[in-house]
Amino acid sequence: MREKVQRLVLAFAAATHAMAAEQYFRQQGIPGRLIPLPGSISAECGLAWSTEPGLQKEMEQLAKNKKIQIQGIYEVMLYERKEIL
Amino acid sequence: MRKQIDAKGLACPKPVILAKKAIDQGTAGEEISVLVDNEIAVTNLRKLASSQGVEFTSAKKAEKEYEVLLILKQGKNPQSVPAPEVENCTVKNRKKIVAVLSSDKMGEGEEKLGHILMKGFVYALSQLEELPDTVLLYNKGAFLSCQGAETLEDLKLLEKEGVQILTCGTCLDFYGIKDKLAVGAVTNMYSIVQEQAQADLIIRP
Repeated sequence: MREKVQRLVLAFAAATHAMAAEQYFRQQGIPGRLIPLPGSISAECGLAWSTEPGLQKEMEQLAKNKKIQIQGIYEVMLYERKEIL
Repeated sequence: MRKQIDAKGLACPKPVILAKKAIDQGTAGEEISVLVDNEIAVTNLRKLASSQGVEFTSAKKAEKEYEVLLILKQGKNPQSVPAPEVENCTVKNRKKIVAVLSSDKMGEGEEKLGHILMKGFVYALSQLEELPDTVLLYNKGAFLSCQGAETLEDLKLLEKEGVQILTCGTCLDFYGIKDKLAVGAVTNMYSIVQEQAQADLIIRP
């Protein structure tokens, strides 16, 4: 069944930055995915990159390399499916 | 210290009442294990944990056996927090929710943006506290349940959670993607109409 797990979520300055980030992070083999900006971060409509906790420094460096503007990095509980052993 | 509550077979909201009582009587760091026999009880216990500031984990142990573990945090005084309203005590009271995806894009405008929005919409469906009963996919929406679609993993997650994923057979046939269907089942117009006619709530992107 699904469970809420902690994820590292990057919010971007603009949707175009989020789209560029998705492409770049995938090229770099970074685990994660583009998601709608969770309501717990902001009520605004936006896109965010959800990845594994602990990758904050790596993500910041990658974004800096590609001049992708990160608006904020957050730890958010999101639903994911947990396989039953 | 761990307290065990066997709430299997108890009618809703009894598991929540027993768990709330144990939380009120518990001390910081204490673990409360609650055994229940349905997912609605798990959902209600999750809501209780969230309202009480208590850590929550759950696992399916067997068919009709779920273990919910509640861990009381340090420095909390949960006695002062009332329990949340328990909803959906029985399946009978539950609203039937149907999500209808009739395109591979969300909204009009730039195609690339439309695809990204649709991908986000399907992900957001998987994040709902109360999942839909059925997702209907037709016309270009049929592509969303086929191999290669970026929405596939989220639809598979929904299906594993018991959501019915139904894709229009005529549409799969028309677009020549019948052999690409990768989640759920093929449906027809009668089911598409019936599912919506029986729904209490229809969600469209």
